[in-house]
Amino acid sequence: MTLPPDYIDYPIRKRAMDHDRYAYRVLPRATPVTWPGGARIALWIAVHVGHFPMDMPLKPFTAPGGMERPYPSYWDFTQRDYGNRIGIYRMMKAMGARGLKGTALISAALAREYPVLMEEIAGAGWEPACAGLDMAHLHHAEVPEAEERAVVAEAAALLRARFGDAVTGWHSPAHSESARTADLVAAEGFTWTSGWVNDDMPYAFATKAGTLTAMPLPQDLSDQRMLFQQNMGTEDFTDAVLAAHATLDAEARATGGGRILTLAVTPWLMGQPHRAKAFGAMLDAILARGGVWNATGAEIAAVWRAQA
Amino acid sequence: MLKTPGHYDYMPWRRRPKITWPNGAQIAVWLAPNIEHYELFPPPNPRRNPWPRPHPDVLNYAWRDYGNRAGFWRMADTMAKHGVRGSVSLNVAVCDHYPEVIERCCELGWELFSHGTYNTRYFYEMDEAMQREVIRDSRETIKRASGQTLDGWLTPAISNDETTQHVLAEEGILYTLDMTHDDQPTPVNTRAGRLVSIPYSLEVNDVPLFVNRNTPAERYAAICKAQFDQLYEEGTESGTVMCMPLHPYLIGQPHRVAALDAVLAHITSHDKVWLATGREIAQHYIDHHLADHKAWIAEGTP
Repeated sequence: MTLPPDYIDYPIRKRAMDHDRYAYRVLPRATPVTWPGGARIALWIAVHVGHFPMDMPLKPFTAPGGMERPYPSYWDFTQRDYGNRIGIYRMMKAMGARGLKGTALISAALAREYPVLMEEIAGAGWEPACAGLDMAHLHHAEVPEAEERAVVAEAAALLRARFGDAVTGWHSPAHSESARTADLVAAEGFTWTSGWVNDDMPYAFATKAGTLTAMPLPQDLSDQRMLFQQNMGTEDFTDAVLAAHATLDAEARATGGGRILTLAVTPWLMGQPHRAKAFGAMLDAILARGGVWNATGAEIAAVWRAQA
Repeated sequence: MLKTPGHYDYMPWRRRPKITWPNGAQIAVWLAPNIEHYELFPPPNPRRNPWPRPHPDVLNYAWRDYGNRAGFWRMADTMAKHGVRGSVSLNVAVCDHYPEVIERCCELGWELFSHGTYNTRYFYEMDEAMQREVIRDSRETIKRASGQTLDGWLTPAISNDETTQHVLAEEGILYTLDMTHDDQPTPVNTRAGRLVSIPYSLEVNDVPLFVNRNTPAERYAAICKAQFDQLYEEGTESGTVMCMPLHPYLIGQPHRVAALDAVLAHITSHDKVWLATGREIAQHYIDHHLADHKAWIAEGTP
């Protein structure tokens, strides 16, 4: 068995991406953006508020935080659910005490499951964004188009029924998408997304239904990656965030263009009692550096679009 | 298949009816040593193979066996030094295999509750009659070995099936530990009877920390102290619970036992701590706060 000759044909080998969703952009040459108040850093606190049904499919892959133990895994379910009952309130309190707000990336099923939690998110002044229907409905190539379209529509309808036009952002759960997810999301009226982890700054993302603003939401620097998947210590994560902040702040000082520090944090991880002090201390250290504009994903996207 | 356990209602962590612990304590701290026997030649279970290697898995069997031979004694002495009792998550067959261990637990005034018969006999796929038989065996064995009533339950390896909590309630069990959804006791909804959940922990549990999350002993101690400090502070608003699950084959190792010593020294240096057993926490909650919590839930958790 040998490979066919066309295995080393390269029909799209040219100066461009190997797809037509966005253009290549050199980060240091991107148009500088100015944040309100002359801030160097836009602080985006993106909180993953996920719902993990016990009967979630484990194929073609298990979402981070998905069921690892045999059904019915109370072990996994109740630990995730702890985040929505307890952990998120601990984080809200820490953020509120510092005058900070965030964006909740919500499994839309929670609008139905936990209406009280939705009230609290609204009351805290957080932006509600849609992170799919729930962690049992990931977007990937093996989902039939009609089914994926229906899931996007159901998720959007659930969150909009509660929050109305405030819902403009879409995050594909587990950062997983099919080749058509962005088209379906744009067609449903969303204007910003955060599934692709390929930049520190927003950029224009083309779809069949208009242009989305792709927002920088890190996975490499996230509590799910570092604390849950890589088993690092809490301080490894908070130190890494502060190192990222130092780098981005220095770049902003050097170029005169603002940068974004995104905290990708999760209540079932950062909302645990043993991490509460570290979370607060990290926020204090970020604020102490100065030049910080705390904003939601929608606010940052809007300011960026106005100058792009 | 169930999407959710369906055993508890949503209770946001704000404005809950206040829990008060005896003597003005802010936090109830309880230690749950898991005293277990894993069989060398366990029967198969369709959902889980107990051992990663072909049976006999000598390495993994012997690692756990160390706990009963060596680790338990060191761990128990360390707890006794600080005057901290244990509530034993007990594979009840230990009463038959190693009565010396049970004698020491009784001598120290520890509670015994059931963690099934063996840690290699999962509840996955057990029909209700068989679950009931195991619970009754636990009740009789604990009574015979210690004179105690069976009040608490943690399914072996948290392998509970869909109906287990219902069966526990019907069998008169007071509290379950199969759910880690909260930092306070909560009501458990079952088809009959009365059952409450009290906090167990996978966050400050030595198995996930040492075996799965590669935690050095000093960091384990720091995590436990931080967990205590936060829940102690929050306990000024409403009483909290901290559970420290222990496994003698891990925490009782010579290179780790000093971490337990350090954590217990930290906890017992605070004055508003109720060093309780699982049974005491559950009974206090049932007697004083369960009705308030149920009423608050009924009102929509205002």
